[in-house]
Amino acid sequence: MGKLYDELSKDIEIKHSMYACMDCGTCTALCAAAEFYDYSPREVMDIVQSRDDEKIKELISSNKIWYCGQCLSCKQRCPRGNNPGGVILALRRLSEKTGLFAESEKGRQQLIAKRLFGDNMLKRGYTLLATNPIPSHFPELGEDWEYYHEHIKEMREWWGVPMDLENSPGCHRMVPEKDMEELRAIYKATGAVDLMNKVEEGMAKKLGGKEEVEKFWQSYQDNVDSRLYKIKEKK
Amino acid sequence: MANVTIIGGGVAGMAAAGVLTKRGHEVTLMERDSKLGGHVGKWYKVFPDITDASEIVDELKGDLNGVKIKTNADVKEIEKSGKKFKVNGTSADAVLIAAGFEPFDATLKEEYGYGIYDNVVTSLELDEMLKTGKLKTKDGKTPKSVGLVHCVGSRDEKVNNNYCSRVCCTNVIKSGIEIKEHYPGTDVFCFYMDVRAYGRGYEELYRKSQEECGVTFIRSRLSEANENADKTLLLRVEDTLAGKPMKINVDLLVLMVGMCPSVNAGSLKNSIGLETGDDRFFKTKNKHSANNESNIPGVFYAGATTGPKSIVESITDGRAAAAEIHSYLS
Ligand code: SF4
Ligand code: SF4
Ligand code: SF4
Repeated sequence: MGKLYDELSKDIEIKHSMYACMDCGTCTALCAAAEFYDYSPREVMDIVQSRDDEKIKELISSNKIWYCGQCLSCKQRCPRGNNPGGVILALRRLSEKTGLFAESEKGRQQLIAKRLFGDNMLKRGYTLLATNPIPSHFPELGEDWEYYHEHIKEMREWWGVPMDLENSPGCHRMVPEKDMEELRAIYKATGAVDLMNKVEEGMAKKLGGKEEVEKFWQSYQDNVDSRLYKIKEKK
Repeated sequence: MANVTIIGGGVAGMAAAGVLTKRGHEVTLMERDSKLGGHVGKWYKVFPDITDASEIVDELKGDLNGVKIKTNADVKEIEKSGKKFKVNGTSADAVLIAAGFEPFDATLKEEYGYGIYDNVVTSLELDEMLKTGKLKTKDGKTPKSVGLVHCVGSRDEKVNNNYCSRVCCTNVIKSGIEIKEHYPGTDVFCFYMDVRAYGRGYEELYRKSQEECGVTFIRSRLSEANENADKTLLLRVEDTLAGKPMKINVDLLVLMVGMCPSVNAGSLKNSIGLETGDDRFFKTKNKHSANNESNIPGVFYAGATTGPKSIVESITDGRAAAAEIHSYLS
């Protein structure tokens, strides 16, 4: 037992998700992530259950905790009532709080998630806006998507789901400011805003300053590949 | 002479009846089925010595001279007035509940496909197949591979059965040996979490199944079964010793169903205020020193009615209960 484990065990998600695991592998057997990655929910449970800070540190510094797709099939099947997917959520939070997320490539993608979904939420009240999937990031969507992207305002009006109006039908309306305030208050009270800030801070620490974070962000915008930005080794 | 009524004509009830009648009591043995023997009476071979189950039942029957046997007597409640009891109209000075167990209803584990896929059967159906010498898939072929699944309906919060049914591990081992002996060309895969072969001769049987018969044990718990187009079954497990998720095909899948309390346990309990544990089996007065007594003087328990037991344990428990009843009545 150590500091990391103590911190982790305070997470409400751990309290709801982690009972004694009997290492049966029911979860790993049907986990879609385990089928494609070097990932196993049973292994995650095993590490957390060991309460070994060294192992927990290694886990939350690695790509592994980011492979889970949160499908919660594991929760449906676990004969001990565990929820490995919930444990993963707590581990992700701990990884962000401690800045260790920035040690792994999948972890660093949290910056992209934060700036896209996180900032969208706080600004507009949506995780994803219709304008976000830009054609250069999704070449597989083809010419139709390019056309739509260019004529989005006009086309949505044809369909009766106009953009950016209050009280209009469809999923691109403006959420009234008083509701936005409420939403931001929830994000603040539940600690989500703190976590988002931690992501920015953790990235700056790992990459060597805020300007480097912007370069990482720009590199991703240009290439849609978080691996291409090269981290400078600290001397 | 005192009257004792025994509810349940399985091995525990029969064993108790044999002792009590020898001690001079008037014993009435009530069995819901049309004949004595309970579950054991229907089975083929039993562990650890792969003996005929019918031999055990016949031996116990031999001790029943003088016992009043009532078959087709389903007992749902007990009446009590003062120190006397009435069971289906028969008065008694003491009652022994030896109501046994029900096999777990495998349809509740929907992900295993029992009742949905053609070639998923329970351990009871496997026993029947071995008894009649017809180990076959639905389309009549001898299976080239059989999967035996441990802990179906046991050690599983999802079906509200947290307990271990205790005998199914050794039943897997015994079944594996039987399959290999009669069908040497058939592969047998057992999906286990722990092998709980706790009784005398059980571990030796486990070893035999591996060393002499080549039964394969894969440390895992079945996550789900899916039917292939050819009606074989695709199983998803993790080999937890190798730490790798795997898929494996078998021709026949056997679910080793656990034990659940008798369907009458609830109504018997409510009729005179007996107690059950979290596992819904009857609760004894003391788990160590009064394991045949109930919370009501004059009502006793024997066999799997107080939790999963092997045959030998049920017989021993029945006789222990008989000794307790004899002391109570003298
Ligand atoms: S929630 Fe995550 S760990 Fe659980 S089955 Fe889905 S992908 Fe696997
Ligand atoms: S299914 Fe539950 S008990 Fe089994 S390994 Fe996964 S978390 Fe542990
Ligand atoms: S005896 Fe074995 S198969 Fe049966 S419930 Fe216990 S561990 Fe599972």
